[in-house]
Formats: sequence, structure tokens, C-alpha cells
Amino acid sequence: MAVVYEFVWRMLHALLHLQRTLLSWNWRLWRRAMTAVLVPTVFGFQNHPHNNKKLIPTGGKKSCCRVLWKSDGKSLEKLPLHIGLLIAEEETRYTDIANLVVWCMAVGISYVSVYDNQGIFRRNSSRLMDEILKQQQELLGLDSLKYSVEFLNNSNDKPEQQVLSCQATVKVLSPDDGKTGIVTAAQKFCQLVEQQQKRSSDLDVNMLDSMLRGTKGMPDPDLVMKFGTVDSTLGFLPWHIRLTEIM
Amino acid sequence: MSSTEQSKTKLNQTPTTQRMSWIHKGELTLIERLSANILKAGPMPKHVAFIMDGNRRYARKLHVERQQGHTQGFDKLAETLRWCLNLEIREVTVYAFSIENFKRAKDEVDGLMELARQKFSRLLDEQEDLEKHGVCIRVLGDLTLLPLDIQKLIAQAVLATKHHNKCFLNVCFAYTSRHEITNAVKEAAWGVEQGLIKPSDVSEFLLDECLYTNNSPDPDLLIRTSGEVRLSDFLLWQTTYSCLVFQSILWPEYSFWNLCEAILQYQLNHQALQKARDQHAEARVLQQLEADRCCAADLLQQTGLGKPVDPQLRQEALQKYTAEREERVHSFLTALQEKRDRFFTDLNKGFIASAKA
Repeated sequence: MAVVYEFVWRMLHALLHLQRTLLSWNWRLWRRAMTAVLVPTVFGFQNHPHNNKKLIPTGGKKSCCRVLWKSDGKSLEKLPLHIGLLIAEEETRYTDIANLVVWCMAVGISYVSVYDNQGIFRRNSSRLMDEILKQQQELLGLDSLKYSVEFLNNSNDKPEQQVLSCQATVKVLSPDDGKTGIVTAAQKFCQLVEQQQKRSSDLDVNMLDSMLRGTKGMPDPDLVMKFGTVDSTLGFLPWHIRLTEIM
Repeated sequence: MSSTEQSKTKLNQTPTTQRMSWIHKGELTLIERLSANILKAGPMPKHVAFIMDGNRRYARKLHVERQQGHTQGFDKLAETLRWCLNLEIREVTVYAFSIENFKRAKDEVDGLMELARQKFSRLLDEQEDLEKHGVCIRVLGDLTLLPLDIQKLIAQAVLATKHHNKCFLNVCFAYTSRHEITNAVKEAAWGVEQGLIKPSDVSEFLLDECLYTNNSPDPDLLIRTSGEVRLSDFLLWQTTYSCLVFQSILWPEYSFWNLCEAILQYQLNHQALQKARDQHAEARVLQQLEADRCCAADLLQQTGLGKPVDPQLRQEALQKYTAEREERVHSFLTALQEKRDRFFTDLNKGFIASAKA
């Protein structure tokens, strides 16, 4: 009897895997169009007459795209302040991520975090930064001067560019910023206790929160967009995603 | 009959005694049993966490009192526990009451506290049944925020079922994950204050053991009902590699098939999550080794006289340091467990004393 159950189980999973594979093929074929639509529709809390399928950035339509993005952003009732991009895919596609970051900026999101489970983006953060700047030029053209991107590195707290209007902050994260960050904060507090500068009972949620937020003080992510087939946060900033919507 | 009317009829038909019970009586139907057996051919989650959201919306939908929504929610919990037992899921954690919920309207909070009083009292009546099924009940959260009589009832329930080990139910009551993590760091700091551990001994493993959930493995699967896609301060630390399933059904309407759907999702994600978890565990071991090496090297430098140290000596120093660190951590964790047990036994003594008085 167990053999029968196992056989049925295998059939069921084969079907589900097939369904997933077909969907992902479809996805790859219409990737450009789909992602171009997906970004405004994910943000869109109301129907918008300009929310058309023509948001694929091609030559002559660039200027009207930018105008559309700006008006898309303004027409939304509520924009997330901080968006997290959780990349759970096998391949790392720098250009696509850079595109996403630039779109977020164009729509008016102030903070964008990029995270992957293996810390690949963290290790190659300068490559990602270059890619973002390149895409910013390509997609936003003349307007790109108005958008300044501040890249946050954990090592230096100084902003890399001056603050101008429409400023966005991009941070690249890895699992080291999650649980390891909490452990480091815990060690620091314990050192203060050892030196008798604090008592263990002095610690409360707000104190730990400010220790984890650090000097830059980015707000908690309002929205995390997950890319890939894995249904998990994979270690993305456990402390900060208390009230974050996960899609 | 519309589904709302059907639900209302069902509400009125369920006998009162069954409605109050923690363990639902009843077995699976034939089709349910067959499906369960098919699912069990694949990897099954050993620990499932539920965010039981949707009681109030359910009450609104049926045009009944909110309190009834919560009572139905509890009954659904009892039913779900029965399904989990049938599916051989041995550990279940549920989010019953958040610290944030204290901010709700006074009559709702009072109603929930009254429900808790009834349920925990009922638990004590059902001790034989719980012993028969080997159910261990743990209540996680900052219990000092609750009314004293409920604290005492909880203490009794926890102590009465402490040694059962067939299946485990963890009820998160007066709980938020941030409070839990803060509390874990506080416990570690207490360990440092007591001279049991050093600040450098604080690691991911140590904090794991300082959380309220230290006796449970991390959840394999987290299910949230009612369509919200947030974690809402629930097990943020423990669910980093769990499969998250968000289902739009309201909690009191949860069905066996919803549970099967969630388990199927878990099975689809199983391999990828296992891989990610293993990678993280490896990285953790390496980090700890590196930290130990640094500490051992520091110690050698302090005791040494500026001479270059040979690898053999370094290796010995590292092994010695690691052994000492593990010893420290072990005695700290023993002391912590004693402190926690004392909290419940003290409450219980108070309970017996006041009962006798």
C-alpha cells in the first residue's frame, strides 16, 4: 500500500513541477513586458488610466516613459518608504536588479535594499553600483541628474554623493546583516554590562532597536518583493520585517 | 443555503462540551486519510506554526459577537491539532495573543482574558486525556503582563504537562518576537553579570538557547490565514528558513484541505530550504571557529612574551579555549533553565497556597 501512496505522491509532485516550469518559461518569454507591468501594478493601489503595457523602455518612447513613471508614482495613494528586494534565484542578474532599483527610484521610493541569501551582491556591491548608475543613465537619460543615489556601505558612514532633490538610498544586504547583526549588538551590550556601564535589566525593545538601526537609521521595509521560487525570507533582516508585507 | 448560513448552523450544532475541549474528538474521513497517506510519502514538516488570523472578520461575516469569533477560533485550533496528530506533525506553535493586542478595546481584551481563563482551567480538567496523548503544553511570552490568576493557571498547566513528550503545543500568549529577542539578549547580559559567560561567548547558538522557544526546533512551515502577508512580530528569528504560506481563508473556516495545500507548498520548497539551511549552518560553524581562534590568539599574546607562536601551540590553545567556552555556555544555560523553572514553580506554590487559604 505504501508503494501506491508513494507513486501517487511522485505523480502529484511531477505535475506541480511541470506547472512551475511552464510558468517560468512563460515568464522568461514575456519577462521585459511582465516586469515592466509588474512594478507599477504591485505598487498600484488604484486603477490608473496610464497604466498601460507600453512601459518597455525603447528608443523614442523613453521620454514619455519617464513622464508616465513620474505620474504613476504621484497617482498612487500610498507609496512604500522602503522596499526590500529579496533575490532567491539561482542566477544573479545584475542588469535586471539594477533596472528594478532605478524603477523604484523613478516612482519615488526613498529607500531600496537588495538582499540575497548567499551574500553575492554584498561581495560584488561595486559591480552592482556601477550597473545601477549605468541603468540610471540609460533609463532616465537627462533626468538622471535630478536623481542622486546614495549607496550605503557598512564600512563608511559618509554619503558618496551630495544630497539633491529626489534622493534615493540603496543598501546591499546579506545574511550578515540579519542574525549576525543582532548577535554583534548583543555582544556590544554585554560588553557594556561587563564594564558595569549598564545593567542587564536596562535593555528594552527600543534600545535594541536603535542599536540595530545604527547611525544611518533606515526605516523598516514596508514591502519585500521576493524573486525566485522559494517561499521564505531566507534570513532577510529578521528584526526589521516585523510588519513588512511580503510578496 | 449560503456558506455563511451553513457555518452558522454548524456553530449551533456543535455540542458545548466538544466546543470547549482542547483535543477534538473525531477521526479523519476515508478520503482525508488517503490524502494524508499520499502526503506522508514525501517529506513532512515536524513543526508547524500558525498565525490564526481572521476571527473578528469571521464574526462580522456571520453577524455574531466578536467573542464568538474567538471561541470558534479556539475550536478550530483544537480541530487543527487533531489533524496535525493524524499527519504525525508532532509540534505546533500558535500565535494566540500579541502584546500589541493589549491596545485593543477593553471589553475585547477582557473577553479574550476570560476565554484564556476558561481554556486553561479546562486544560487542568482534561489532564488524563492530555497524558494519554502525551501532550506537552508550553506558554511562551512575557507572562508577567497577564493578570496574576491567569499566570497561575498557566503555571499549573505547564507544570502538569511538563514531562509529556509525544507531541508539543506552544501557545504564544502576551508575545511579540522583538520582545522575545530583547529578552534573549537580556538573559545573555544576565549571564555576563553573574560571571557565567563572557561577552565574546554570545553567539547565534547562545541566543537561540535564550529564546522562549529554546526547547523546540525552528518551525519548518509557517501558515498565516485571512490573506494578510505579514509576519506581525511572530517568530521573526526562528522562521528565517521556514516555508511561509499565506492563505486567504479565515481561521475559523480553516479546513483539512487548506492544511494539505500548505504542506504541499512545504514539500515543493523542501529541497531549496534544506540547502539554504545547511549552508547557513556551515557558515555558522566557520564563524564560531574563527571567533574562537581570534580569542585564543589574543589570550596567547597576553600570556606569551612577544615570541612567535608555533602552530602546535596555537592549535592546543584553540582546543582548550573552545572546550572552556563550551563549558561556560553549558553552565550558563543550566542556570537559565533553573531560573525559568523556578518562575513556574513559584507561581504554582502561590496558586496552591491561595487555593488552600
